[in-house]
Amino acid sequence: MSLRMIDLGGRMASVLEQGSGAPLVYLHDFADVHGVAADLLPFHEALAHDRLLLAPAHPGVNGSDDMPGPHGIEDVVFHYLQVFDALGLATFDLVGHGVGGWIAAEIAVRHPEKIRKLCLLGACGLFVPGEPIADIFMHTQPERGVSYATLRRMLFASESTEHGLRYYPDGRGDLDEETRRYQMIRFCSFVGFKPPYLYNRSLIERLGRARMPSLVVWGERDGFTPIAHGRAYADRLPAAAPLEIIPGAGHSLPMERGESLAALVGAFLNRA
Amino acid sequence: MIDPVQLYAWHFMSYPHLPADFDEKYDTGWVTVPNKLWDKERSRGLLNSYIDQLAYADQLGFDGMVLNEHHQNIYGLMPSPNIIAAALTQKTSRGKIVVLGNLLPLHANPLRVAEEYAMIDNMSDGRLIAGFAPGSGPETFNYNVPSAPSRDQFWEAVELIRRAWTEEGPFAFEGEHYPLRYVNPWPQPTQRPHPQIWIPGARSRDTLTQIAKNGYCYFLSSRSHGRETGKAVDRFADTLKAHGDRYLPRRMGILMSTYVGETDAIAQEEAREGIWYFLRNCLKGHQRREGRQLTFGPGVPYIPPSEFRDYLAHSDPTTPLLGDTQDWGDLQRAQSIIVGSPDTVYERFMSVLENAPVGHLLIQFHMGNMPDEYARKSMRLFWTEVAPRLKEATGRMFEERFGRDAAALATERA
Repeated sequence: MSLRMIDLGGRMASVLEQGSGAPLVYLHDFADVHGVAADLLPFHEALAHDRLLLAPAHPGVNGSDDMPGPHGIEDVVFHYLQVFDALGLATFDLVGHGVGGWIAAEIAVRHPEKIRKLCLLGACGLFVPGEPIADIFMHTQPERGVSYATLRRMLFASESTEHGLRYYPDGRGDLDEETRRYQMIRFCSFVGFKPPYLYNRSLIERLGRARMPSLVVWGERDGFTPIAHGRAYADRLPAAAPLEIIPGAGHSLPMERGESLAALVGAFLNRA
Repeated sequence: MIDPVQLYAWHFMSYPHLPADFDEKYDTGWVTVPNKLWDKERSRGLLNSYIDQLAYADQLGFDGMVLNEHHQNIYGLMPSPNIIAAALTQKTSRGKIVVLGNLLPLHANPLRVAEEYAMIDNMSDGRLIAGFAPGSGPETFNYNVPSAPSRDQFWEAVELIRRAWTEEGPFAFEGEHYPLRYVNPWPQPTQRPHPQIWIPGARSRDTLTQIAKNGYCYFLSSRSHGRETGKAVDRFADTLKAHGDRYLPRRMGILMSTYVGETDAIAQEEAREGIWYFLRNCLKGHQRREGRQLTFGPGVPYIPPSEFRDYLAHSDPTTPLLGDTQDWGDLQRAQSIIVGSPDTVYERFMSVLENAPVGHLLIQFHMGNMPDEYARKSMRLFWTEVAPRLKEATGRMFEERFGRDAAALATERA
């Protein structure tokens, strides 16, 4: 694994890369690389066995500089176009998780020619009436000053999973990890608080442009993005495989189901 | 010549009719506290009785009355302080009307605030003190205000309003958040060049710099006054100095809460219910560990990550907050709500002022469900038996400590 700092005209973006071969860009979420962990997770390392995996940190997160604004998802899409240019990527596979999945979908509907295959893992970004994306901002405020139990319920299969307790412990956590958590929620406050809440009402009508082969994967117990959003993505993306639901898993699939998820995603990417 | 401390009556207008088991049954008094608890019958006349308490402060002779803005909570029933201020313009004749403040990022166009404040300044014949505040966590949830850009938005809005009051219109404002082709508000404020501008702030260096640079007054948003309050004065004084200015008491204010009775024992007896109602219920969701506090923290990221990291490194998430206060002893040590006889209150206020020589004391008299007659009695005793001594002592103390700076400033400005 290596860390690359790329220059986007005076501001830097931090990119973790591993492996070699066909390029895959991975866009992160909360309980994920950059969002809380400093390094790639076993999920990413497994995917990098037979390809070049590139995982940029969102603006203002884990070593990436802030960008002006950003004033919404449009600015973030343009930021990533600059990242792809700087990395010299013409076409590539795009995998996005949660908030990163939303960004991936927004890129795919605008530049379908760049994306060979698209994979969305518990992605937010859609407005589905009556199925609100959970209020991660309110639940990031601890109860009694110390308890992150409801946040863990949102991000993991239950409030007491190993990964949840490791990365979102009650009380004061690791200073670097808490700072990354803060940077990620701040990024989301910039791009996803208004219009409310981590979605773009226009996106669903645009999904028809993303004609590349697509895979949509959801945790059965996703407490952040309701599974109805997974069905909506799988229904409206023209070349999507049937929605894959992982039994017993929560929202943070790459952290919760590293190896088996990598096998599922790898098989989709390798399919002729 | 330096003014003695200015004394203002601050009314928060809390909701006083909660059920006795509120604290057991409900986890917050903010944002999601169910509004079915609003008792329409018992609440008739409530806002008017609060307005009348403020008018009573004006009759007694207080230097001013203070209002502020809150939404969807039991702590403060003033979503629009400007409406209360408008009523006060008609019911009072001499004290300043301090609106501290309008929450600017909640407005689609802050020009509305410039206009409404100008109306209040006209209707009160130049008695407005114009406070501006960015809002904190609860506003994020109440009004769908994204936290991260809210500070930038706030300072841009302050700039827009100040220019709207001082520059000849119409002019174009090329703001990032509030671009406007035609800025030209009518009416203009009565006071020239504009009403005094007060800005609340807590721990941010950036806030102090903006206040110092622009000649505004700094209101320290804290409910407790230990050594930190003195440090805040020093920090502000340093910031002023770095911008070629000097600290004078008139540049800074703090919030105090008090209840004055004939004796310490009477004061405690009369204030007890209102104070504990205020601490346990009104501060739940704001300054209590119990439940989910929404005012500050990782879910409302309005400060830069470097400042948040600094906060994490120097704070303990289990430290009790004001609303967690266990007993009278704790309460007295926090220097937050000072309860006692006129002598006690005078001494305790002076010890705060000696440590933190600020020129404006914004004083909360009514707390929680305190009966009207107690709030009025406490104001009356404060004004007749405490205020004259505070004025006399601070006039002397400020002159000794800041007389030379005031004279030097006057010369520099001449």
